[in-house]
Amino acid sequence: MKPFEYYSPRSLPEACALLAEIGVDARILAGGTDVLVEMRKPGSSSSKAVVDITRIPLLRGIEESGDEIVIRPLTTHAEILHSKIVERHAPLLRSAVAGIGSPQIRHRGTVGGNIMNAAACADTVPPLIALNAKVKLLSSKGERTVELSEFFLKPYVTVAQRDEILVEIRFPKLPANARSSFVKLGRRNALSIARLSVAAVTAITDTGVINDARIVTGAAFPKWQRVPEAENVLLGQKPSRTLFDEAGKKVSEALISFTGWRWSTEYKEPVIAVLVRRALEACK
Amino acid sequence: MKSVFIRTTINGKTREHDVRPNMTLLDFLRDELGLTGTKRGCEVGECGACTVLMNGQAVNSCLVLVPQIDGQDILTVEGLAEGERLHPLQESFLDHDAVHCGFCTPGMLMSGKELLEHTPNPTEEETRTAISGNLCRCSGYQQIVDAIRETKAAGIEKSK
Repeated sequence: MKPFEYYSPRSLPEACALLAEIGVDARILAGGTDVLVEMRKPGSSSSKAVVDITRIPLLRGIEESGDEIVIRPLTTHAEILHSKIVERHAPLLRSAVAGIGSPQIRHRGTVGGNIMNAAACADTVPPLIALNAKVKLLSSKGERTVELSEFFLKPYVTVAQRDEILVEIRFPKLPANARSSFVKLGRRNALSIARLSVAAVTAITDTGVINDARIVTGAAFPKWQRVPEAENVLLGQKPSRTLFDEAGKKVSEALISFTGWRWSTEYKEPVIAVLVRRALEACK
Repeated sequence: MKSVFIRTTINGKTREHDVRPNMTLLDFLRDELGLTGTKRGCEVGECGACTVLMNGQAVNSCLVLVPQIDGQDILTVEGLAEGERLHPLQESFLDHDAVHCGFCTPGMLMSGKELLEHTPNPTEEETRTAISGNLCRCSGYQQIVDAIRETKAAGIEKSK
C-alpha cells in the first residue's frame, strides 16, 4: 500500500472539516472490504489521506422513525441480517445481505460502503431502490437528501461529491399486505458477485389483485432502476405464473432497449425473465 | 506519513505500538509481531486464510487497516491453545484428519471458533455457512465440518 496520512475523526463536524481541508486527495474508509482491495491494486490511484469514519458513533444503527426505517451507513451487513426491524419491515433487504460475500465480509462490510462504492453488483442497492430509499449526504457546506434511484450515474460513479459523507439511509416501511423478495444469480453461493439480481415487492388487496408492484434489477441495466413497463403489467391483475412470465418478458425487452444487443444479451435475455418470475413467485 | 499510536489486545495481551498506517492487520500480525499462524492467501478477502477474530467476530485480517484495531480485541490462531494444551477444536481437527496441507486450517479454526461461541450445537448447514468464507483447496471440507460439529461435546465436557 502506498503511504498516506491517516485520520480518524470522532464526530461528523470534525470529519466534514477534514474532508473540506484535504479535498479530492482524501479517501473515506468504512468497512474497508472494497477500499482496501482497491488501494492495493497495482497502479491504483494513490490517496494522500485516508479518513476513517468508523469511530463516529452517530453513523451506526437501525431504528424505526414513525412509518419509516432509518439505517445509518456504518451498519454492517451482519447487523442488517440480524435486525428484527429489517426482518419485519424490509425482508427483501435481509435476503440481499444474507448473500453478500462471506461471514467475514458481512462482519466488516457496511451498507453505506456498498452504496458509495456503487459497483453494478452491489446487492443492497436493488432492494433499497425498491423500498423507495432516500440518502442524506453531509459536507461542510450543508446537507442534502437524494432519492437513491437518482443517486447513481453509472457503475462506480454517483452524484456524491468527494467531500460528502453519506450519513443516513431512510425508507418507508413496506405496507402490511406487501410481500417482497430478492433473487440473485451468481456462480456459487458464497463469495459470489451477482451476475444478475432482481428485487421485487408486490402487495395484494382483499379482492386478490395486485395494487403495488416494484421490480428493480441489479447488474443488468447501466444503472439501477425500477422497470415501470413490467410493473404496469402486474397492477390490477391477479397473480399467476402467466402474468409473472409476462412481467419477466417486459424486463427483458426493457433491458435490450437500454443496452442494445451485446455479447451477453443472448444469455441475459431469457435469464433475467426467469429471475423476475422467480422473484415475483417468491413474494409470498 | 505520520505513524499512528494503537493500544490493542492480541491473544489476551495488551499491546501498545506506533504503527505505519498503510499496513493491514495481516501485515502487522505476520511482519511486525511474527504471528505467522495467520496465513497470507489471496489478500482480497476471498480465501479466508487470514481469518482472525475481532471482538469475537471472524474477519479477514487482510481487509482491516491496522489503525482500526485500536481499542479492539484480536484473537489469532496462536491464542487458541493454552500453553501445551490444544483447544478442543484443534484436538477435534486432529481426531478427524481435518488437516491436509494445512494452509486453510488457521482460518477454518477461527471461523469454527466463532460459530461454536454462539452456536454450541451447530447443524451441518450452519457449519457450512460459518466456513463459507474459507476456501480449502485440498477439498477436505467434510472432515472440517465434522471436526467443528463434534467439537462441542468435547468442549462441553472439558468445561464441566
